Amino acid sequence: MSGKKRYPRRVPHVPIRLSMEDPQPMYRQLESQLRDFILAGELKAGTKLPTIRALAGELSCSVITTQRAYQDLEGEGLILTRQGWGTVVADIPEEKLNARRREAVEAAFGEAVRTGRRAGLTEEELRDVLNQALQLDHTNVEGDVS
Amino acid sequence: MTDERPVISLRNLRKSYGTFELGPIDLDVQPGYVVAIVGPNGGGKSTLMGMLMNLIKPTSGEITIFGGVYPEEEVTVKRRIGYAPERPSGYDGLSSRDLGEFVSRFYPGWDQRLYEDLLADAAIEPEKSFGEFSTGTQRRLTFALALATGSELLLLDEPTGGVDPFARRRILEGISRFMMDERYGDRTVLFATHVMEEVRRIADYVAFLVDGKLLGLFEKDALLEGWRTFWLDKEPESEVPGQVEVESGNPCGSLARIVSDSPRETEEALCARNIRIVRSGALDLEEILSHLMRRGKAKRIKSSRTGE
Repeated sequence: MSGKKRYPRRVPHVPIRLSMEDPQPMYRQLESQLRDFILAGELKAGTKLPTIRALAGELSCSVITTQRAYQDLEGEGLILTRQGWGTVVADIPEEKLNARRREAVEAAFGEAVRTGRRAGLTEEELRDVLNQALQLDHTNVEGDVS
Repeated sequence: MTDERPVISLRNLRKSYGTFELGPIDLDVQPGYVVAIVGPNGGGKSTLMGMLMNLIKPTSGEITIFGGVYPEEEVTVKRRIGYAPERPSGYDGLSSRDLGEFVSRFYPGWDQRLYEDLLADAAIEPEKSFGEFSTGTQRRLTFALALATGSELLLLDEPTGGVDPFARRRILEGISRFMMDERYGDRTVLFATHVMEEVRRIADYVAFLVDGKLLGLFEKDALLEGWRTFWLDKEPESEVPGQVEVESGNPCGSLARIVSDSPRETEEALCARNIRIVRSGALDLEEILSHLMRRGKAKRIKSSRTGE
């Protein structure tokens, strides 16, 4: 193709994938993946995010989905939208970041407990499972070091 | 993008030709969105487009575009619309240069540079006349003319009809770039198509138009999320909420299958009845449309029987 223009990429490519197999609505999937990137520090404060239209184009979803996800993340204080400046990752104080990370861990543990209950495990057995998982992880970490 | 006045507003719009009856159509298109009008050929898409451009007179009903109505505000309204007809008439003897000059006179926001870029991209020689090009190239030229008008609203009638996959991609990219252009505020695209893949890729809203009837305007992602297929270890003994189709398993081990238009309710009901969901999956737009068409027909048969 002659005359193809290369525009500088001012906005980072965010590796997000939406799956129709996932029973979660697309905006939830988008939200949780962006949230993970932000909380893990992979998207740093001040990083400019794609516009809702550009992101929708990239993900083949509707602009309503990207708009909804951005609105929710903005409500959580993780991103900011400024007129004429676009959407950027917010500067999140360290203690808030830690609290949010802890919340994510708590949610995952809560889900694990519910799975265990559904499988009919007692509290004692659940503790065993946790201890076993910790033990296994501990062995792995040591194994990596050596 | 929200709480704004609709760009296009249709009220009780009807057109009848002989036995074909289009409408009544009620539709609001909000600024800032790509809306696909989808349906089988002969369903009324081109007639609707023609009415939006005042090329076809409605039998009854109202069309309001940018707050204006035909014929009073025809000129001011149309200066804000880039239109790509499915079969342009009167273009055949004109070159792309002639067509550009002709169309540009009408549009204050005409973007000559964009027009030339689009022609170069499609390898369209400026001197060759429209009628000499292949169908695909004619489509791209027609699309270039609509895009270069610099309008806030594009009406595209089967913009990719008869083009090869490569050209189709370029046209869809052109629509995306039109929507992303930061020099302008909210822009709107209404395009007619029968190709679901295009809808899946670029539309925000989908309006299904079948046999002259509008089966509703849907937010695309919500529509896709609103339907699901469940494969089950056993068939429910009676209908579950949300169920629109059920297929029994067979003794050789195939699973029972349910299509639902309220997946959450269906899932809860199955769980309460101790029926295990072995797998679940989304429906594609074709499948959803065929369910909506069946439902539309069933409704019409019912109402004609009861005389409602």
